Amino acid sequence: MLDYLAQIRSLQSMLREKKISCTELTQAYLDAMERDNPKLNAYVTATPEAALAAAKQVDEKLARGEELAALEGIPMTLKDNISTKDIPTTCCSKILEGYVPIYDATVWKLLKDQNAVLLGKTNMDEFAMGSSCETSCFGGAANPHNLDHVAGGSSGGVASAVGGNLAAYGLGSDTGGSIRQPASFCGLVGLKPTYGAVSRFGLVAYASSLDQIGPITTNVEDTALVYDQICRYDPMDSTSKGAEGNTLSHLKDPVKGKRIGIAKEYLEGLKPEVEAAIQQAMKTYEAMGCELVDISLPALKYALPVYYILACAEASSNLGRYDGIRYGYQADSYLNTHDMICKTRSAGFGKEVQRRILLGTYVLSSGYYDAYYKKAQNLRGSIVRTFREAFDHCDAILAPTVPMTSFPKGFTSQDPIETYQTDICTVPVNICGLPGVSIPCGFGEKGLPIGMQLIGNTFGEANILNLAWQFEQATGGEFNKKVEGGLAL
Amino acid sequence: MVTREEIENIALLSKLFVAEEELDGLTKEMDQMIAFADTINQATDAGEEFDNINGLQNAFREDEVVPSYPQSEILKNRDGGVDGFFYVAKHK
Repeated sequence: MLDYLAQIRSLQSMLREKKISCTELTQAYLDAMERDNPKLNAYVTATPEAALAAAKQVDEKLARGEELAALEGIPMTLKDNISTKDIPTTCCSKILEGYVPIYDATVWKLLKDQNAVLLGKTNMDEFAMGSSCETSCFGGAANPHNLDHVAGGSSGGVASAVGGNLAAYGLGSDTGGSIRQPASFCGLVGLKPTYGAVSRFGLVAYASSLDQIGPITTNVEDTALVYDQICRYDPMDSTSKGAEGNTLSHLKDPVKGKRIGIAKEYLEGLKPEVEAAIQQAMKTYEAMGCELVDISLPALKYALPVYYILACAEASSNLGRYDGIRYGYQADSYLNTHDMICKTRSAGFGKEVQRRILLGTYVLSSGYYDAYYKKAQNLRGSIVRTFREAFDHCDAILAPTVPMTSFPKGFTSQDPIETYQTDICTVPVNICGLPGVSIPCGFGEKGLPIGMQLIGNTFGEANILNLAWQFEQATGGEFNKKVEGGLAL
Repeated sequence: MVTREEIENIALLSKLFVAEEELDGLTKEMDQMIAFADTINQATDAGEEFDNINGLQNAFREDEVVPSYPQSEILKNRDGGVDGFFYVAKHK
């Protein structure tokens, strides 16, 4: 029987003990995808051939009696903005229609080298711009806990697949909450690592100073396992810092006496059921011997507009490369090159992406640069300082991941600003380059999961995952609820 | 208040066409978004110089020649190109 609180270790034991072959396991996942993906819309590309080829290698290795690497033979998925050689990478945008990368992202290379079994690429908001996965050109991904609700975004497909038992784990990317928010909405664990911990080489850029790749899993141990395998120095990413991924061996460290910071700014405007779950989590930590410390983060007030200004500015520059000349969609008819580029971009990008490009271009344009971009950069400096000072008084910060539970489908398209407000709790972590993990901590109306966030100091992944794992143990994993459907083992 | 003309100009800089019938709606949306962005100018905090998040400094290395991706691979996403180049018809 598969242990939902240690899924990767459990699956590897089954493989080692020959209770199931890797080919059988992979085929079982592929069959489950064929059956359940039409209702979840988690995958946008299935890769059965690559998956079965990797599985065969694993079975041959097992037959030779060789040891398996940490993630070897485990069926998994990648968000569709992580480049995969010879496998389409669309960012769920029409503009990347038909694009097939000629190289692998470093994270995928690291996993592929140890025979990770890639089941397919998963759905996302177009170019990772959104909170519901609904800006995807393939339509949104459903929440496995309630199919009328969204899986969240932008890594909604990964969360939908992992939560729907259509992959053991997945890698997403997080620019303003895109790993933690869907993890929270789908009752999963999602880690946004410290900026520079995981290589961004091969991750299609949205906002380069904020983007990080990280895991989405069903439990904390799996997140630690995956993070430890992808946290590597990479000369191909000039912001790579070369930290040691060493979180797994610290999961069981005692937490008694650890100081957990509570900022009132994070507790404003929460839906009552979320507030109650966070208060309960605080009590759990107190009962575990942690000390709750009041901290103040006044600069948080400006985090959201600062984030949108900087993210859109960087996006407007990064997305300048889509001109229809070298890859992807190209307009069918045009008068000259300028006309071709404009027509390609106007028809290739969706409305939300165009809005963000326009806002980014506006805040960078002559006459507005100082009032918006420069001012936002300076306020970013203040927010960074505020968090640095807070960590003089605490070891980690506890906050909600999202002020509410998953939205009903279609909710987010009505008012862009209202949608942006839902990112209020997640964006500060990206602004400051800090690690943040979302773990399940309750259920709200209609059985929708509630998540909480543990924010650590720079390269404090081991500390926050230790606190997260101990919470999961203390609550007996009652919030890591496995839904029906998908792989049944 | 953002004007239609400003949005037209920003769209041109962004290499995006906005259809005439969409311009009013887009101007309204952009006005809301810019008003939202403008809330940072209410901050009394002047902020502080910010360069990059993890204290990076320029690091120079020897300029070593390493293999590049073959031209044929790079051109794969445009049907192999023409004579080793990307090809774009003048008009279509």
